[in-house]
Amino acid sequence: MQNIKGPDDLQRNVLDEELCTGCGACTNLCPYIDMVKANAIIIEPCGLSKGRCYNFCPRSYIDVPSLDKSIFGSYREDIAIGSNIYVMKARAKDEEIRSAAQYGGVVSALIIHALQTGKIDAAVLATSSDGVNPKPTIARSKKEVLECVGSKYIVSPTVSKVLDAIKGEMGKIGVVCTPCQMTAIRKMQDSPFETGEEKISLGIGLFCTWCFSPDTYEYIRSLVGSANILKTDIPPPPANIFVIQTDERRVEVPLDEIRKFIMPSCAVCFDMTNEFSDISVGTVEGEEDWNTVIVRTRNGERFLKSAKEAAIIETKPLEKEKFNHLCEASLNRKKRALKEIDGRKITYLTIRDEERSKIISWNGGI
Amino acid sequence: MHVEIDEPGRKVLLMGNEAIARGAIEAGVDFCSGYPGNPASEILETLAGVAKKLDFLTEWSVNEIVALEAAGAAACAGLRAMTVMKNMGVDVCSDFLMTVNMSGTKGGFVLISGDDPAVHSSNSELDTRNYARFADIPLLEPATTQEAKDMTKWAFDLSEELGVLCMVRTVTRLSHSSGLVSLGPITREERSAEFAPLLGTWTSGSGDYTCMFHDALHGKLKTAQEKFEESQFNWYTGKEDAEFIIITSGTGWLYSAEAVKLLGLKDEVGILKLGTTWPLPEKLIAKHLKHAKEVLFVEEIDPFLEQNVKVLAAELAADIGPIKFYGKKSNHIRSEFGAGVGELDVDTVMRGLTETMNVTYIPRDQDYAEKAEKLVGSYAPNRSMAFCAGCPHRASFWAIKRALKWDGRDGIVTGDIGCYSMAQLPTGFMVLKSMHCMGAGIGTATRFGNLKRYGLDKPVIAVSGDSTFYHACIPALINARWNKSNLLYVILDNKTTAMTGNQPHPGIGIDALGEPSPVTPIEDVCKGIGVEVRKCDPFDIDEATQNLYEMLQTEGVKVIIFSRECALTEAQKRKKKPRVYVDQDKCIGDECGCMRFCTRVLNCPGNIWDYTKGKAKIDEVVCNGCGLCAKLCPAGAIIVEEVV
Ligand SMILES: Cc1cc2nc3c(=O)[nH]c(=O)nc-3n(C[C@H](O)[C@H](O)[C@H](O)COP(=O)(O)OP(=O)(O)OC[C@H]3O[C@@H](n4cnc5c(N)ncnc54)[C@H](O)[C@@H]3O)c2cc1C
Repeated sequence: MQNIKGPDDLQRNVLDEELCTGCGACTNLCPYIDMVKANAIIIEPCGLSKGRCYNFCPRSYIDVPSLDKSIFGSYREDIAIGSNIYVMKARAKDEEIRSAAQYGGVVSALIIHALQTGKIDAAVLATSSDGVNPKPTIARSKKEVLECVGSKYIVSPTVSKVLDAIKGEMGKIGVVCTPCQMTAIRKMQDSPFETGEEKISLGIGLFCTWCFSPDTYEYIRSLVGSANILKTDIPPPPANIFVIQTDERRVEVPLDEIRKFIMPSCAVCFDMTNEFSDISVGTVEGEEDWNTVIVRTRNGERFLKSAKEAAIIETKPLEKEKFNHLCEASLNRKKRALKEIDGRKITYLTIRDEERSKIISWNGGI
Repeated sequence: MHVEIDEPGRKVLLMGNEAIARGAIEAGVDFCSGYPGNPASEILETLAGVAKKLDFLTEWSVNEIVALEAAGAAACAGLRAMTVMKNMGVDVCSDFLMTVNMSGTKGGFVLISGDDPAVHSSNSELDTRNYARFADIPLLEPATTQEAKDMTKWAFDLSEELGVLCMVRTVTRLSHSSGLVSLGPITREERSAEFAPLLGTWTSGSGDYTCMFHDALHGKLKTAQEKFEESQFNWYTGKEDAEFIIITSGTGWLYSAEAVKLLGLKDEVGILKLGTTWPLPEKLIAKHLKHAKEVLFVEEIDPFLEQNVKVLAAELAADIGPIKFYGKKSNHIRSEFGAGVGELDVDTVMRGLTETMNVTYIPRDQDYAEKAEKLVGSYAPNRSMAFCAGCPHRASFWAIKRALKWDGRDGIVTGDIGCYSMAQLPTGFMVLKSMHCMGAGIGTATRFGNLKRYGLDKPVIAVSGDSTFYHACIPALINARWNKSNLLYVILDNKTTAMTGNQPHPGIGIDALGEPSPVTPIEDVCKGIGVEVRKCDPFDIDEATQNLYEMLQTEGVKVIIFSRECALTEAQKRKKKPRVYVDQDKCIGDECGCMRFCTRVLNCPGNIWDYTKGKAKIDEVVCNGCGLCAKLCPAGAIIVEEVV
């Protein structure tokens, strides 16, 4: 049974609680909601008590068991990183992609492959004109995909662009996005409302521990002046720094100094590894030009197989120790989120009781 | 045009305002100025229409005080000059009025003031007759269209004779109704202008000189009073020595006459109709107070006659004995809102008479009244006031509403006088939170935007129109900058004085005659003042919103000009309008994603609901083809087709 409410509840339960992720799932659906600085704003109540805005929102409610069931056919066995078929390391074979990409370039390589093989006709990615502020965009060629390489750590309203792509009748759509955004897309696909969601044929999820709010840009500028920003990075622990690479120099900011810009909604996020994607991609500790890849759905598995066969990517097994670290990081995220959720009496997340107690009583180690 | 027919004695149908214009023409007016405002706008429009042919001067002035000053100068130079304005315009010109009354005039100098009882199109029920008393100037109040013409003409003679400006007060019902007028001859006397004031200086003086001028003014008023005793515009009808009399002026006279007739009181009630209401013709009034035991006052808006006659009665008390007075004070003459408020009509007078004279009258039985009301309701849809189809203000206010929501600090929007005043209503999404007089939007915003010291720290937006900008906003804008206020001033530049019927203003390059004149660009004025200025088309709604939002994020005084021609003037000029229609297969109507945005929120008269299909449609007759709804339709269901 879907828990569908309307914009008033969105205002009360999500926006007033500062839980908006800025994903864009509620904008671009109607003239009543705009997205400003990664916050949805209701301009005028539409008067309906049930709507897609609430239905698609990744912070209105997430019923994990029911989403698992609709995406994977059954409930997850892995409480640390969610349903998966296998986990491995991979990187793009194409040197050009790899050198431009954030890490191993798996994401860009897979999207280019999907476009070239007709798996998708258009991909919703995030580009940036200043190296920091993301702007969701639609890519349909290798060139356009390469214009989007690299992580922008400020939130991107990617889902609103997905809605654009659907409305624009661009055929089959692929999307690269963070976990909250993927959740919104899956909720859309699971919703009784028809929005054209069946056109979304491939969801590549980025790992994400948190995301910055748009105000971060001015802060970053205050650190590097008007220099051209080439890349930003958050190297995996224990580095604990935010790195800004400009064409002049490399600036390292202790994470503790920049944490204040983290989106408030990240505090209640339960999902680091993008648990509802077809394929999730993240970093590998200590190996800058490789990616950790989690293949989750049959769709993802088939597609990855074709990419491997076409020699688009090369793969290696992920070391047990690194896998364990990944699981620990993810469990840590979940535990922190549950604490926050319980402490603030927020009710958006539904998980199985046994899973909840396992996470809460988890004390490190796998 | 009827006003220019030169056939003395011929009877023609004229609107009250046209009759006033005709009166001026018959008086041989040399110059007429004014600022548009209901109900007086058509007077100058009518005069401008014949000014070239009859070879006299007219101007739309930037505001009423400039208008009165211009006319004052022409009259000082020996010409016959007139200024027309609405009620609140008299407030604006009062500063000059309170001195030019004393400095006097050589040529006939007439001020026409249009009052608006029940506020058909104003935001005050100001009774400007008080100004005549306040300024010690003669006041005439026409009761009929014929009198509107005759009194205006006479006002020039009177003014010239007395050497003081003369005020004629009309009201909406007189100005905007038509009646038969018997024409007089059109005289064109060739006068030459010269600057030759009687005392060498045209001034109200200072110190003792002012007191002397003031006293002289009182003397002129005395002379006026003597003339008024004999005036043909005052008369008494009904029973010679009636114990119950009505004292009335202006439109009140016809209502009174009709009420007395309908109630069959002709043999009991006398009516004293006054056309010259300040100073009062005291002897004439005293004559009738002598036989009256009860007096009912019938007049528009304030108890002006009522109070002044009561003072007179007190002075005469020993002679005339006790009299019972009825009217506004006694609550016998009242509208649905109360006494001294709203507009008169025959029913109001009849109620006053039945309540004071012990007669009963049932105009129609209750059943019939209810039935009639229902029937009328079924034919005339109940509509709230709204911006016209295609009006750019609709887009402007949607942009302002959005920008304020984006900003999230619960900003304040202060407004001004014009069509856009309606943004207090749903048609402007109830964005406007204040409205007073011309220029008050930015004037008040200046301090709303500068009260941080006392804890008010919200973004402030002032809104005015283009004509209002020239009229009254420039000093306030300078003041805002001077005093370091924080505000965003939105100028809705629709290239016309729209509210009053599309008169020109200094920004569009034509004058009252429709002839080319130099332009004073709003943008240049603001830039000259030194504030940041942006300009955009409100129909580029996202750009407009973004601009507003960005400007709200910075401190200081900023101006954004929303530039888009009024839908009405644009429609008059173009040959073909784009065809707009709804692709009903695409329309998602009241479903999630729309919920009738075009008909329920945007609410343009061109957007209508097709009840049979449960979809939106366009009233193609009403639609102006602006395409705003097509831009905002979430389903892309509204199609704009250029017609070639
Ligand atoms: C906000 C954010 C936080 C992240 N946090 C972690 C983390 O904690 N741990 C971890 O292992 N990995 C994290 N990642 C993922 C990591 O940074 C890489 O994006 C990922 O490993 C893919 O690398 P790649 O070389 O294949 O990327 P590339 O081939 O360079 O492709 C990157 C893709 O990411 C998309 N993208 C960039 N910025 C955004 C954005 N803001 N929103 C949506 N899409 C975007 C681009 O469109 C591009 O397609 C994060 C990414 C983001 C954007």
